[in-house]
Amino acid sequence: MPEVEISPRAYVKMQLHAAKFPWRAVNGLLLAQRSGPDPSQPCLLLTDAMPLFHTSLALTPMLEVALNQVDLWSAANNQVIAGYYQANDQLTDRSPNLVATKIGDRVAEHMRGAVLIMLDNGKLSGEYSGPAVVVYERQDNRWTPKDKNLVMWRDWAGTRQALREMMAARAYRLLVDFDDHLDDIRRDWANGAVNQRLGELTLTPDVDTDS
Amino acid sequence: MASVADMFDVTWEEMRDKLRKWRDENNRNSEQIVDVGEELINDYASKLGDDIWIIYEQVMIAALDLSRDNLAMVGTNTIQEHFPDPSFCSYGMQCLHELRKQFPGSHRVKRLTGMRFESLERYDDANKMYDGILQEDPTNTAARKRKIAILKALGKTTEAIRELNEYLEQFVGDQEAWHELAELYINEHDYAKAAFCLEELMMTNPHNHLYCQHYAEVKYTQGGLENLEISRKYFSQALKLNNRNMRALFGLYMSASHTASNPKANAKIKKDNMRYATWAALQINKAYQLAGRGKKESKNSLKVVEDMLEALQITQS
Repeated sequence: MPEVEISPRAYVKMQLHAAKFPWRAVNGLLLAQRSGPDPSQPCLLLTDAMPLFHTSLALTPMLEVALNQVDLWSAANNQVIAGYYQANDQLTDRSPNLVATKIGDRVAEHMRGAVLIMLDNGKLSGEYSGPAVVVYERQDNRWTPKDKNLVMWRDWAGTRQALREMMAARAYRLLVDFDDHLDDIRRDWANGAVNQRLGELTLTPDVDTDS
Repeated sequence: MASVADMFDVTWEEMRDKLRKWRDENNRNSEQIVDVGEELINDYASKLGDDIWIIYEQVMIAALDLSRDNLAMVGTNTIQEHFPDPSFCSYGMQCLHELRKQFPGSHRVKRLTGMRFESLERYDDANKMYDGILQEDPTNTAARKRKIAILKALGKTTEAIRELNEYLEQFVGDQEAWHELAELYINEHDYAKAAFCLEELMMTNPHNHLYCQHYAEVKYTQGGLENLEISRKYFSQALKLNNRNMRALFGLYMSASHTASNPKANAKIKKDNMRYATWAALQINKAYQLAGRGKKESKNSLKVVEDMLEALQITQS
């Protein structure tokens, strides 16, 4: 069973997206490094999160536009769409609904081993020290929760610290999702500014520079 | 920590006007409202005159949104008994207390008490509050809407939809309610009913480009050639009403492209929609070129959009 590793950048951006719109459901895509099938490295490393929407998640036209754009951007940046994340608007609801499974299915069509991540809203406040996500994988055409032992963290302590600092600095206000971009196309949905700030905070080197 | 006035070099009048702007636009930027409003009340209460009451209300609702109960908390006699030390009661606890003092027995203030119960998840107490208001005034729309909001918060979407439908039978002109109902139907994937709600809104607001665009998105989601053509028409309509609506522009491109490549479409429809799609692509490119001038990150966006349009065109030929 393949492992999944979540980078600080992917985790923090998912959390910031949820923090920016605490009263809404939000969703987005997860990217991984593009590399050939290597049996000695079955681990899927999630390198980045692309925040998509905070309005009407169940409508399709803008989703199609976003999927196309993120797909092309990823290819140009040596990455591939490898997962989908969603935070429901209900505090206690962390189960994947129809929107989540449909989009998850679509991602899985193009990427074997794709993951679906649901944010655990109840654990998003800083009081809880563990990761606030539930990772799902596809087994027998259904999304089932992945064994927690197979979910790794590139640097959990660093991730947590970086998130704490970004939240204290209210950096979620800087985060741009695709909805924000459609409101004003000058806004950068790849979030270069947030990535840079995050790069300065996390102690381990950025994955791109890892040899 | 520096004051808002110092940090942004604004006068108290500008702060007060900003709060009014956010009220008028019904923005949910609760953090900013609390930052600005708290300072305004703390430092400039005497200058605000009667404005202070509506600001108390606005700040209190924002504080509830942020779970800042100490800011919103009721300063009842009980609390004063238990915490006679004034330093325990931040000015915030005065918020609701001040409003109750000024407007005793007011339904509007009772609604705020109910909202505080909601934020503490004391939904039974909140409902009692709202039922009390409705007994005295059955036409109080605010209380009815809060009761529906509670159903939503509890995940009882079917009941919320039913109550909202009943509400709209009585208050058929309430646009906010029609919009809320449309959203609820969309979340339940009942696109036909969502479309109906948006049709109501478009009828009463024919110049609102957002309703046209939203309607078009719902029809597109429903799928099928006929719905695609309807969606294309309404994306066009939205653009006519506001030629800077990017969702309408992208929507026009997508719906026209898909219609043109639909095997059931006849030659004329194919030709017309190719024309619409080409036009839309040109406009999208222009918009991104304009937006990208001088900005490095936007150049990425522009390239991506160009590639996307190219890729989608290839599938049509």
